[in-house]
Amino acid sequence: MKLELRGITKHFGSLVANHNVSLTIEPGEIHCLLGENGAGKSTLMNVVFGMITLNEGEILIDGEPTRIREPKDAVANRIGMVHQHFMLVPVFTVAENVVLGFEPVRPWPILDHANAVRELRETSARFGLDVDPEAIVENLPIGMQQRVEILKALDRDAEVLILDEPTAVLTPQEAEALFEIMRSLKAQGKSIIFITHKLKEVLAIADRITVMRLGEVVATTTPAETDEDALAAMMVGRSVSLTVEKGPARPGDVALEVTDLYAEDDRGLTAVRGVSLRVRSGEILAVAGVQGNGQTELVEAVTGLRPASAGSVSVRGHDITGRAVRVFLDAGIGHIPEDRQEHGLVLSMSIDDNLVLDELSRPPFARLGTRNHRAVHENGARRLAEFDIRAPDSRVLVGTLSGGNQQKVVVARELSRQLQVLVCSQPTRGLDVGSIEYVHRKIVEIRDQGVAVLLVSSELDEVVALGDRVAVMYEGQVVGVVPPTTSREQLGLMMAGSVEEPIGAGSPS
Amino acid sequence: MREANAFVVTGLAIAVGLLFGSLLIIVTTPELQHAWAGFFSHPWATIRLNAIVIWGAIELLFTGGVFDPRAVWAAIQHPTNANWTTAVSPISSSLTYATPLILAGLGLAVGFRTNLFNIGGQGQLIGGAILATYVGFTVNAPPVALVSLEILAGMVGGLIIASVAGILKAFTGAHEVIVTMMMNYVMYSFLGYLVFLNGFKKPGESNGVSQSIVLAGQLPKLLGFLNGSLQVNLGFVIALVAVAIVSWLMNHSTLGFELQLVGANPEAARTAGVSARRIIILAMCISGALVGLAGMVQVSGIEVSLTSAPPGATIGFDAIVVALLGRNRPMGVLAAALLFGILDAGGHQVQIYSATNIDYSISLVIQAVIVFCVATPALIVALFRLKTPATAKDALASRGWTR
Repeated sequence: MKLELRGITKHFGSLVANHNVSLTIEPGEIHCLLGENGAGKSTLMNVVFGMITLNEGEILIDGEPTRIREPKDAVANRIGMVHQHFMLVPVFTVAENVVLGFEPVRPWPILDHANAVRELRETSARFGLDVDPEAIVENLPIGMQQRVEILKALDRDAEVLILDEPTAVLTPQEAEALFEIMRSLKAQGKSIIFITHKLKEVLAIADRITVMRLGEVVATTTPAETDEDALAAMMVGRSVSLTVEKGPARPGDVALEVTDLYAEDDRGLTAVRGVSLRVRSGEILAVAGVQGNGQTELVEAVTGLRPASAGSVSVRGHDITGRAVRVFLDAGIGHIPEDRQEHGLVLSMSIDDNLVLDELSRPPFARLGTRNHRAVHENGARRLAEFDIRAPDSRVLVGTLSGGNQQKVVVARELSRQLQVLVCSQPTRGLDVGSIEYVHRKIVEIRDQGVAVLLVSSELDEVVALGDRVAVMYEGQVVGVVPPTTSREQLGLMMAGSVEEPIGAGSPS
Repeated sequence: MREANAFVVTGLAIAVGLLFGSLLIIVTTPELQHAWAGFFSHPWATIRLNAIVIWGAIELLFTGGVFDPRAVWAAIQHPTNANWTTAVSPISSSLTYATPLILAGLGLAVGFRTNLFNIGGQGQLIGGAILATYVGFTVNAPPVALVSLEILAGMVGGLIIASVAGILKAFTGAHEVIVTMMMNYVMYSFLGYLVFLNGFKKPGESNGVSQSIVLAGQLPKLLGFLNGSLQVNLGFVIALVAVAIVSWLMNHSTLGFELQLVGANPEAARTAGVSARRIIILAMCISGALVGLAGMVQVSGIEVSLTSAPPGATIGFDAIVVALLGRNRPMGVLAAALLFGILDAGGHQVQIYSATNIDYSISLVIQAVIVFCVATPALIVALFRLKTPATAKDALASRGWTR
């Protein structure tokens, strides 16, 4: 099936999300739609899937102009979409989710459960997508849930499959498995529209690449004709540096010392098992590892958000284990949390207020329990300029900003205090190239000012680019601390639990 | 096209409420039903009659709930006590009805802003009323001291009841809706027990009635110098002071900011070093104290003694609606409570003085329709084809009751 978009224009009020976008998806190709956050990729695909009605332009399927007014029309025209946030009912089984909306009944209105399961088994056998039809969706890992979403589309005979940022939620292994699925679907003649902003993935999987910027198509190319730097430049509109420029670290005294730390996860299982780390001021210790190996719990324990079940955390020799979060902050720990929208920001509050969340009751922002609105706003206006936060005014709600600018607000707040230690967890997740560059530069800057940085990231590129030393975590333990020049194969082995350490990098100091 | 901001939506909601009330009057009033039977022989007269009856009802709603220009004019021309009494009587009834609603609405709004859905207004109101009444008939003190003590007692009474939900939520995660709702039943039963308990019960009374608050402990009537029947009392002043204090709390204090911070995103609050536990307990305490104060003004201003029925009947529940209508803003709560006061006082006047048999319930229907429209702004936006500004989309979409 051939899908053509001609002159699609969509605006929300005065904001133009798509302007005169034309795009052709040939049968049996993987077409990457690349662009920064806010470039209009998702809007375009929501138009195709009938979630948004277009203002101008037309959609042609096999040369026939087709009107798609709601998702039902899209499904009828054999277009399927896997959204970035899954549209699954967590408490239903896989089979129930797949047939939802098109349930086989016998007699009406009783669900023909056996038939639903059989149908699903057939579909998953045909495409080689193994999944247990009777499993409850909420018990499945994320990668498996995504597979259910894909099956849902295939079960409705989709010929064109839209995948909206499918790898954002996946571990590297799960992403690789997804690429396998994509290749096999392509081999069966399906077309796939793959939305992403990760350059490596694009070059690895795409047949053709369309780059969007500010709502318009800026280029269509193929992996053979381009490379990462060229793609990044097209996305951002200027040349960007993909490597982090930093001089050698000049480590000072130990600023953060974690000794034999144990912590439990939310289910009460031990997630951090005897971790010992020492981070010196002026160096970046990067923690690598596949997600879910205790990094989240380690960060929370080090920032006081999660109680340590054993062991200690001290900053500049002061043991602060078990104290209130406030004490951790006052000891000079800054924290750029993993999920900025959940832990870092209050989306319904202004930039001004978000910039003083951790200092809100202290002078000059408040005196005697009364807030000083003027001081808060002056601070906001100053940080807006200093940290290049793109917003019309510091009084606007943080929720209206793009992801990159939201992260800048978090970074601005944390770096505005006198810090001893900066703990950052997945600091560039979901950010566009320009913002990643910015955040990396800031982290190196704060290191050079003599702050100890503990960086946790599941992106290996980021770990080796920023880290002065790399600690690898596996199943709650640090399996080794190695220099960032260690080969990727070696790091990969360590991330899979191999404790064999290269000579000369043994001591964690 | 008008823009759909909160004022426009609320104004249109009131209009829709009145329109709906008018339709109901047409359908339910016996005299009008009779008139419609003759529609084909006298169409014009039928429509005229309907218009007269509806206009009369709306006029009575206003003159009975706010003021009657003729009575005010008469009072200005012949300024006698009796004339002035007639002129201010409607507004006195409205303010009297609004007073506890303002206080209880403020209390619940503080909880809602912290994302705590306190629906235990009734229980906290009873708690405040019980403690205030007890102080009012046991303590022997000059009026100023006694009333101050009652205020304190009322706040403490509501605070104790509400704090149960706050503490349970903070330490065990028990949902405040369940706990506050159950505390309502506990307090209904406790009140029923108390009014028959020797020492609390009025001696020599066979029904369940408490002893009365002594004269020194009753809130002075603001217009008592005109006529003792004008009910509006010091409680209204207390309510206005509370509006001012809560406004300051929510807009200018660090505590108020922390309340809203925890309400908007408890995880971010924790990360910023604000103890969500402490804030949840404090928010419930402030909420309960204000609702308890509503119970206090109702007993020491109006009812003087307690019976097994909650003081003010359903104020604790009505206050939920007042807070919602007022969008959890102190000035909004004040306006919403005043509107309800006017509709209540006016509704009674419609029933008493209308030439036809219009029921008081009509004013309750109008209240309900207004709340319905405000709670579902999408309905008003669609009905009047309003333009939704991009920034207001969030504010208008129902994101749950408490925001």
